[in-house]
Amino acid sequence: MKIMVCLKQVPHQDARLDINGDGTWIQEDNIKFEINSYDTYALEEALLIKDAGEAEVLVVSIGPDRVTQALRTALGMGADRAIHVNDPEIQGSDSLGMAKVLAAVAKEENPDLILAGLMSEDANYAAVPPMLAELVGIPHTTAAVKVERSNGTLTCDREIEGGANEVVTLEAPCLVAVQSGLNQVRYASLKGIMAAKKKPLDVKTAADLGVADQVGAGAAKVSVTQIAPPPKGDTAELVEGSPDEIAAKLVTKIKELGLL
Amino acid sequence: MRFTFDEDQLLFQTTLRDFLSNECTPEVIRKAWDEGRSHTPALWAQLAELGVPGLLVPEAHDGMGMSEIDSVLLFEEAGRAALPEPVIATAAVAAPLLVELGDEALAGEWLPRIGGGDAIVGVGHEVSPLVVDADVSHLLLLQRGDEVHAVAPDSAEIVAQPANDPSRRLFKVNFDAGDATRVAAGDAGRSLWAAALDRGALAAAAQLVGATDKLITLAAEYAEQRQQFGKPIGSFQAVKHMLANCKVKLEYARPVVHRAAHSVARSVSDRSLHVSMAKVAAADAAQFASRQALQVHGALGYTWEQDLHIWMRRAWSLEQAWGRNDFHRSRVEERVLEASARLGPGRTFRGE
Repeated sequence: MKIMVCLKQVPHQDARLDINGDGTWIQEDNIKFEINSYDTYALEEALLIKDAGEAEVLVVSIGPDRVTQALRTALGMGADRAIHVNDPEIQGSDSLGMAKVLAAVAKEENPDLILAGLMSEDANYAAVPPMLAELVGIPHTTAAVKVERSNGTLTCDREIEGGANEVVTLEAPCLVAVQSGLNQVRYASLKGIMAAKKKPLDVKTAADLGVADQVGAGAAKVSVTQIAPPPKGDTAELVEGSPDEIAAKLVTKIKELGLL
Repeated sequence: MRFTFDEDQLLFQTTLRDFLSNECTPEVIRKAWDEGRSHTPALWAQLAELGVPGLLVPEAHDGMGMSEIDSVLLFEEAGRAALPEPVIATAAVAAPLLVELGDEALAGEWLPRIGGGDAIVGVGHEVSPLVVDADVSHLLLLQRGDEVHAVAPDSAEIVAQPANDPSRRLFKVNFDAGDATRVAAGDAGRSLWAAALDRGALAAAAQLVGATDKLITLAAEYAEQRQQFGKPIGSFQAVKHMLANCKVKLEYARPVVHRAAHSVARSVSDRSLHVSMAKVAAADAAQFASRQALQVHGALGYTWEQDLHIWMRRAWSLEQAWGRNDFHRSRVEERVLEASARLGPGRTFRGE
């Protein structure tokens, strides 16, 4: 069984974020990056399947040189191979462009299962996994909070509104985009990192994958024109009273605002 | 000569930093203190899964087979997290001491257990005689003059001593030295203890660098939050300069510690000189940062609820460990005043 895990490297949760010069994205120089936490759950799920039997885990990521560290961390955690799509021409791609790159990798590798995080913590589109599944032509599900396998069939609990779960079954090959908290993500061990040096980490370009004319800012149908920090509120309201009174007032307020 | 760490060494550091920031929080440390302990078996087991206790255990004994150059950044992280585990004695000192003893039976019995997280080894050196976490140790390596004694804890009298850092609980160990416990003596023993002292002081210096970095971070974060005269106090020049001076001391100390790690790993002739310079530089930086961080925090810095004292205690206790500053300054003085002292930029790496 071959499992492909899509990883994205995103700014570290503790990084101080400043907006770049033209106001279209954050300033990425001199900040720390880490693997998107949703994707770490996807990787852990793949490694659990590997631990349970025969499976090869391939991790794939798109981005500049710094992404190598994310892939090496994944290899240190136990992944078997990595593919780094490193091509400045891909910069400026929208979700569809990224999905086309990943789909090209998937078509070369023919995985039995593709695992991805539900969304990335920087852009929050949650768009790439379904697009990828569609481009590859395989079934998919999102927001999986439980994944079980049996004879090529996956049964997934997916989170829906109101605290309920929906149970879906998928025939492999398929794609599952996982919700956070699905499992307990392991740490890369120092021994694993040392062993990872001997594991293959292939670097590819969009041209290598045959998608050079479908990626980059020129091909993007969606572009970010401006980002801005959230406005600071100046209408804070202090709720006072006993705990019961405060709780009652909060519920009333929440209802007034239409949040429930 | 390369003066930077390679990608693997930096990835080791990042990995341990991420682990400790999640698993060794101030809440975890405080819980251990509340329960009158510092060592937490579950945390030690997790560290063993990562490979930390076995950093310097040879691969032939199921360890990581690393050198002090590989491990110095990891000890920095232990200091940054104020890790309340006996990593200096067990990982930095005992493991290589057991290797260098040349006693195959002893090494075969204990090194795999250290690497696997199944054994804690306490070390008592005449320069640093109080044994950290002796009460939870499985083996004690103790000095009597030039002799190395391997002592079973249940055959020794272990007496708790006052300690200002509850994460480094100190014990006096009384034992009957004899043929049954002696595993080295004479020149061999003297050489082993000299190497052990340098390794302990190096690991303590590295932890002090990490602790200093954390003290500066805590003070800088507080200076950003605390408002006075309608502005964060960090915007005032006097506060900025205090923290900038801490940072200068830290960044002067850090390469000295890294140099010492190289000297220990390569057993260069000036190893002890470099280690003493590192210990003094790191301890001075940590003491200075402690005082300045406390000033930045004001009265709040004295409170139990503020986390600042966790790292201040670590800075104070590590200054005392593996040779105080006066001891190491004396060693530096002796070496630089020797007629044969190799000093000056043209001699820095000559002969290595």
